[in-house]
Amino acid sequence: MSQSGPFTEPPASRSQDPWVAFGRLVAGVGIYGLCGWLLDRWLGTSFLLPVGIVAGAALGLYLVFVSVRER
Amino acid sequence: MTIAGLVRAEEFTPPGPGDFELPALFGGVDKPMLQLVLAALLVVGFFWVASRRGELVPGKLQFAGEQAYTFVRNGIARDIIGSRDFMMFVPYLVALFFFILVNNFFGLVPLIQFPSFSRASFAYGLAALTWVLYNGVGIWRHGLFGYLKHQSVPGGVSGPILALIIPLEFISNILVRPFTLALRLFANMFAGHLLLILFTLGGEYLLLTSDVAFYKPVGVVAFLLAIAISFLELLVQFLQAYVFTLLTAMYVSGAIAEEH
Repeated sequence: MSQSGPFTEPPASRSQDPWVAFGRLVAGVGIYGLCGWLLDRWLGTSFLLPVGIVAGAALGLYLVFVSVRER
Repeated sequence: MTIAGLVRAEEFTPPGPGDFELPALFGGVDKPMLQLVLAALLVVGFFWVASRRGELVPGKLQFAGEQAYTFVRNGIARDIIGSRDFMMFVPYLVALFFFILVNNFFGLVPLIQFPSFSRASFAYGLAALTWVLYNGVGIWRHGLFGYLKHQSVPGGVSGPILALIIPLEFISNILVRPFTLALRLFANMFAGHLLLILFTLGGEYLLLTSDVAFYKPVGVVAFLLAIAISFLELLVQFLQAYVFTLLTAMYVSGAIAEEH
């Protein structure tokens, strides 16, 4: 796969599924919300779940921005 | 579950998800299952008959078959996956597109009039096939570890934030994708069919059952709207088959792409 020539170029329209943004937001909120919830249960606090949800959404958005900038 | 949506003499019961639970015809087999088999037979039969002779100067049927095949081969597979690798995936993509298309059109074919993929489990089954395909070719191309890195480590991110991004990207690319893929097909077919039931049953109730004279012209309007929505559905049914196939090609293309 190291060979590169005119026929091994990636397709001209490197378009992506627009729903990938949705997937990233859901994944961010889900996984960091879950982390916050588990930490809450472990530490006996109640503020880490919302923090996790907001941080997850922010990370998901950041990832969307980065992937758009890359192209 | 009782059959909802049956119009009784006095009250109108709006149609709901219960209308999609069709009774078994025999031995646990219901109508949507038969539709899947019928669609598969129709697609295979059409392409078999169209390509049977394989004449140099094609007849009408062969021409139609070649046009249909070329539409997916060039319009979806080659454009998205690229000219080096696309031929490998053309059989799956052609079969997938026409199988979904025929099943969606069943929503408007008289006497069948039920889009198979308004049953969510069928859509999940198709998405599972696509999931196995794109992950399989990705692992085949990059190796298991290389593929996981390929899908989970985005380009353009570095530093400590990368550690937070990796699980997110893994979940988004490997776990969430099949669900959004299936949900889109299922939800469009479900909503379209529900809309059609609502307008036809509502129109029937207003026109025939209701006592208020003023409701009768409204019932006629409801029937006209049902016809208009049928044309809209025709577009949606085609588009959803196209989108499902297009996204499958995009996922495959992303899985086998070189490093970004």
